[in-house]
Amino acid sequence: MLTTTDTLAVSTQDVTVAYQEKPVLWDIDFAVPVGARCAIVGPNGAGKSTLLKTILGLIRPVAGQIEIFGQPYARQRRRVGYVPQRGSVDWDFPTTVLDVVLMGRYGHLGWFKRPGSADRELALTALTRVSMQEFAHRQISQLSGGQQQRVFLARALVQDADLYFLDEPFTGVDITTERAIVDVFLEMQRQGKTIVAVHHDLETLNEYFDWVLLLNVRAEALGPVAEVLTPENLRRTYGGRSGLIERGARQ
Amino acid sequence: MSLLIDLFTDHTLRIVALGAGAIGAVAGLLGTFAVLRRQSLAGDAISHAALPGVALAFLVGAAAGGGLAKHPLMLLAGAFAAGWLGMLVVTLIKRTTRISADTALGIVLSVFFGAGLMLMRIIQDLPTASKAGLDKFLFGNAATMLRIDVLTIGALGLLAAFVVLAVWKEFKLLSFDPEFMAVQGWPVRWLDILLTTLIVVAIVIGLQTVGVVLMSALLVAPAAAARQWSNQLGPVAALAALFGALSGVGGAVVSSTIPRLSTGPTIVLMASALVLISLTLAPARGLLWEHLRHLRQHREVRVAQVLVGIYRLASEHPDPTHPHDIASLDAVGLHAAGNTMAQLERRGWAQRANGKWGLTQRGVAEARELEAGGAL
Repeated sequence: MLTTTDTLAVSTQDVTVAYQEKPVLWDIDFAVPVGARCAIVGPNGAGKSTLLKTILGLIRPVAGQIEIFGQPYARQRRRVGYVPQRGSVDWDFPTTVLDVVLMGRYGHLGWFKRPGSADRELALTALTRVSMQEFAHRQISQLSGGQQQRVFLARALVQDADLYFLDEPFTGVDITTERAIVDVFLEMQRQGKTIVAVHHDLETLNEYFDWVLLLNVRAEALGPVAEVLTPENLRRTYGGRSGLIERGARQ
Repeated sequence: MSLLIDLFTDHTLRIVALGAGAIGAVAGLLGTFAVLRRQSLAGDAISHAALPGVALAFLVGAAAGGGLAKHPLMLLAGAFAAGWLGMLVVTLIKRTTRISADTALGIVLSVFFGAGLMLMRIIQDLPTASKAGLDKFLFGNAATMLRIDVLTIGALGLLAAFVVLAVWKEFKLLSFDPEFMAVQGWPVRWLDILLTTLIVVAIVIGLQTVGVVLMSALLVAPAAAARQWSNQLGPVAALAALFGALSGVGGAVVSSTIPRLSTGPTIVLMASALVLISLTLAPARGLLWEHLRHLRQHREVRVAQVLVGIYRLASEHPDPTHPHDIASLDAVGLHAAGNTMAQLERRGWAQRANGKWGLTQRGVAEARELEAGGAL
């Protein structure tokens, strides 16, 4: 395993998170090498989204250290992009697709400054990358679930980050969107960017990702997908749900 | 009509209209964010929580003497402090206990309002002081508005509007996706406090005119109405400010010309009328249009069903335009009402001959297309 910090995009040590004294993450040691496409996989309630939000500073751990490119997150915000679960916002909010994508530029703009034509250009380019350019001036409530997901992805793209976190990007989306996301993943990897995504589907794991954390409150296994996806590891993570495990292991 | 003329000539009425208009505009602007962040109830809690602040400020002022008791800035400061404290308590309850947000708001609203009513009672029993006029804080009274009140309202309102415009993009992101904002490194908690503080300002400058009981309606109603007319935050906020101003001016002018009519309820009735109109008539989102669209869709489906039904009956015959008694449609479970047949005839898809209905060539073509499309 990789140990030097300058080759790690994300590393956590002994991270523990508890809600009302019940641990939801226990002693997590997690590491993602630079340039990896990493999936966080585990059953419902395993703490996948919680781990993502803890790394991003949205949830405070009761113990443990977290580093992004070898430094605390607060110093690396500019290098981090984020795609939240699309269900986390109100899609009836009065705004357009382009406007939402421009929100990805706010961190670079800083206080008071409004997005300019250069930002608009970036936003349109990002929308083109996810095949949503025709929807730029559409009201966001008119989008399908998959289109919403692509808008969020475009918003993360204009953040121009080195490390991207995505919370369940493939959940409830159509084939076109799934394809678009995977294409963006591969393109990002060619540019040396790192991806960390919460994922559900063991069958596509091998195709979409090359690095995986198996999580069920504890970190059950971590490493390259081909090495980690053993029947034993899956059984440890998922318990007795063997049908899923056999299928996953065959991949 | 004479009311309109008075508005331009009568000095007192002009003061009242100006003040109430400014209150409504600021409430509409800030209310837009309250509504979009689903914090409509917070406005209600803030305005009710402000009452003990008003009463305490009066008591402190009366003790200090020198006419300080009823100075508008004194009462406003008291209302602001209490309203803000109320919001602070809500936040603390949410953060330190398992009590949910709506319950926390309910607790603060009732406890603060109860304390306020009790203090008002104590003031009523005071032997001294010109306590008259304090009861207007319950249901509002625009008629007693003075120049100094309007100046205070105007200055605070302008300040609030200026801040909103300065941090427009920040408030937009805060309202749409605070989590994403936090990941970008914005001080989300401080922006939240700033926005809440501005909402408190928008509420307290209206308390004397609209009253604590109904002030939150002026915060919520214009924004809810404005949302119906636009899909962009800028126009929604501008329209909400306009609706708020219209309600304020209308309500204040009407109530101050009719004796014994409270201003608060009158303003809120105006705002409610705007909400009602917007909910039913606004293009795209109006309920009336939605209902008509629904009816039209329903009719289209029925017309298509009957057209294909007749076509299938006729296809038993060599001639697809072969006419049938319309009652025979009942046999295949389709009831063709008279207006459906009239629709078919008007579109040139069917024609009547000797009391029987047959399809035209165009009707046959249309039916074939529908069948091929697999719609029925």
